[in-house]
Amino acid sequence: MKKQLINQTATAMAAMLALASPAMAQTILRLDEVAVGELDPAKALDVGDSVLMFNAYDTLVIANQGKPGVGPHLAKSWTVDGTTFTFTLRDDVTFHSGNKMTASDVVFSFNRMVDMGQGLSHLFRGHVKSVEATDDHTVVFQLGQPYAPFLTALTRLPILDSKTVKGNTGPGNFGDNGDYGQAFLSKNDAGSGAYRVTSHNPQEQTEFGKFTGYFLNVPDTAPDQVRMRYSLEGATVRTLMTRGEHDISSQWLVPDIMRAMARDRNMQLLSEAGTGAFTIKLNTQLPPLDDVHCRRALAHAVDYKSLLSLVKITDEVAQGRPANGPLPVGTLGFNPDLPYPVQDMKKAQDELKQCRHDPKANKITISWIAEVPLEERFALLMQANFQQLGFTTEILRMPWALYNERVTKVETTPHIGQLFVRPAVPDPDAMLYNTYHSSVRGTYHAAQWLKDAEVDRLLDEGRKTVDQAKREQIYRDVSARLVELQPNIFAFDTQTVYIARKNVSAPPLQDPSQAYSQATVNLMFRNMAVK
Amino acid sequence: MSSSLLKAFALRLWTSLLVLVGVSILIFCIARVIPGDPARIALGPDASEDQVIQLRERLHLNEPLPVQYLEFVRNFAAGDLGMSLYTRRPVTTDIGSFLPATLELVFLAGLLVAAIGIPVGVLAARYRDRGIDHVVRLLALLGVVTPSFVWAILLMLIFAFFAELLPVAGRLSEGVAPPPTIVGMYTIDALIAGQWTTFLDAARHMVLPGLALALSGIGQIARMTRASVAETYAAPYIEMAQAYGFPERRIASRYALRPAMIPTLTILGLDFANMLGAAFLVEQVFAWPGLARYGVQAILHKDLNAIVGVVLIVSAFFLIVNILVDMAIAWLNPRIRLEPRRAM
Repeated sequence: MKKQLINQTATAMAAMLALASPAMAQTILRLDEVAVGELDPAKALDVGDSVLMFNAYDTLVIANQGKPGVGPHLAKSWTVDGTTFTFTLRDDVTFHSGNKMTASDVVFSFNRMVDMGQGLSHLFRGHVKSVEATDDHTVVFQLGQPYAPFLTALTRLPILDSKTVKGNTGPGNFGDNGDYGQAFLSKNDAGSGAYRVTSHNPQEQTEFGKFTGYFLNVPDTAPDQVRMRYSLEGATVRTLMTRGEHDISSQWLVPDIMRAMARDRNMQLLSEAGTGAFTIKLNTQLPPLDDVHCRRALAHAVDYKSLLSLVKITDEVAQGRPANGPLPVGTLGFNPDLPYPVQDMKKAQDELKQCRHDPKANKITISWIAEVPLEERFALLMQANFQQLGFTTEILRMPWALYNERVTKVETTPHIGQLFVRPAVPDPDAMLYNTYHSSVRGTYHAAQWLKDAEVDRLLDEGRKTVDQAKREQIYRDVSARLVELQPNIFAFDTQTVYIARKNVSAPPLQDPSQAYSQATVNLMFRNMAVK
Repeated sequence: MSSSLLKAFALRLWTSLLVLVGVSILIFCIARVIPGDPARIALGPDASEDQVIQLRERLHLNEPLPVQYLEFVRNFAAGDLGMSLYTRRPVTTDIGSFLPATLELVFLAGLLVAAIGIPVGVLAARYRDRGIDHVVRLLALLGVVTPSFVWAILLMLIFAFFAELLPVAGRLSEGVAPPPTIVGMYTIDALIAGQWTTFLDAARHMVLPGLALALSGIGQIARMTRASVAETYAAPYIEMAQAYGFPERRIASRYALRPAMIPTLTILGLDFANMLGAAFLVEQVFAWPGLARYGVQAILHKDLNAIVGVVLIVSAFFLIVNILVDMAIAWLNPRIRLEPRRAM
């Protein structure tokens, strides 16, 4: 009798649990990034920081899906009058704290970012003269001079809940604002994003929970919880994903591991195109590369096919696709008329004949970043290609910090440097100005040390021109001029590839018509689904 | 504890303090000559020059080195090691959160080294030049010559990838909440809080990284113990004990092992302290959020404050372990105990 009672009770409990479990089941999405994520959005720079920012915070405008440019987000509309931008805000936005978003939050967020001077504050510093809330739902930005990338720059101005931040300020250097809530925001969020941060350990992971009060409709299939893990080794990611304990890899997994994982029937490849490029930078001030003919000779000698095969993952998916200039396909100002480079040793020899330097007289240094082993393979390939022209070469392995130091002086900048470029905002200015304008030489972006009056003029013009058609032509002209000057070997446009388990769907990473035109925005969790 | 031993202990503490000051000066200077501008690295290439200048000023990087060091000492005295440019948190907060994780791992590895290495070494010495000795020698050599990260990958492959017996990353499984923080070591905190499920889960997560970290030390200690015990077994007083018919276990534990433990303990202490720094690759493979991984990331990002903080902590740990080992050796060997100045 007693045994029977126990059995009945157990059966009843099991039935209750079975009934309850579908309703209680929480879907969890787990992904990772190499560098630790910075939670304070005013300091956000890297991929990890950006993923945190785009999920926990919102911006006035957001990158368009399937086409270049930006569209409304927290701002439902705006008008432009010369250098005055007036934004009308939505009135249905609530922060995670429950506070309503108003124009004063926008002003506070802007001032905080510029005063702190970190992260991407350079996008606004020196360009915006004043920002003012004229009523609860209207903000007016007054620029000092015409600055065409301003609208796209606003995709990197996350709006904070000023009441929450002000209520959590500590002692600091910002007068009445104390530390501007930096200590608080390094562990908590004060945003309105579709996901709220539930815990943050910068060396382990950041945990998110779905925010039910989000102002846009978030499908029920979007994950209830998200774990963003940091600094996982490739072997660890592979083991976790095979065991079903991890869902999306970072983009930094080496192609060999991705290739092996792609063979698993439970895995799929997701990709994001048109948001960056891999460039091989030529120091235009050091002999023999101070002669454009020598630079062109090198560009003709590169085996582009083999270069791309090094980033191939499957027959259909690669981490790169051919490039014909400094701007990737799909970017405003991309010039379709420029030829795609191919290896042509005859043209290389012809250019070399016109170069005033003897290739044997000057050793060419080819650097690669120690933290990116793939670049060593590129360096070896280039060495083999350039030796065919008679150049003597030396391969230099440089830790990132050392490369940063070396590029600050023209004479210590290697002849050849390599860089994966991902502009912070979806605008050609972000891709070109900091790389080719002569006023910004001596950074890892501008390791070419280019000084060309025509390029400077066009880039300045592009910054000032608001008319999109005129702007497009300006950047086409810049691209053509840069291809002519060859300060770079335009190796390939990057295609960011992630490996994911098949139980995850992420339409912006699967369907180009739904892809946002800005890197990392495609990793917004609200657009994903976990089965 | 005798007064001479106390005096020797005080002297060791004092010299350790001097060593720490020396280390702090050295690492302070070395961290600043590593190539790269920390302000530029932290702010990125797009930051304007005035932003970089501001951050350099905030970090006192434009001051002469002695002035910077004095500023560091002043802040250090107030318990402030500055902000980490890598995690953007106070370095003391980072160390407080990452150190217990590494210590937990290192303590487990140290325990495994002692608990496995010493008995295996004694066994090999007892059965010198017989089958068991040869097997131990082979395994010990394999342990010594194989780097920890190779063990880490191999163990992960066998026990996590193929067999799926043990967890592969982190300190706790999904859905298991960390225990209330008391010492920061999850196993101990869970035990104190009486959270048995959490304790078991944390312990399971430690098995693979702990073993990977310990295997090299186990081999080394086994070899060292074998050599020392074998040497002691050849001593006349052991022969005498055997002639008197003392039980074998008594001879091994009381007469052979105790003197043989002196070199073993010295190596064990060094191994134990070294593990704190060497844990990096193991922590990296098993996504263990510890201090060693933090330290290496700090160096790669030229995070000056974090570099100095981590090196000071590792040095202090090294010195403390060495003092403890010296004390243990003095306890084991009366000659050292009676002549503390000469021996210590």
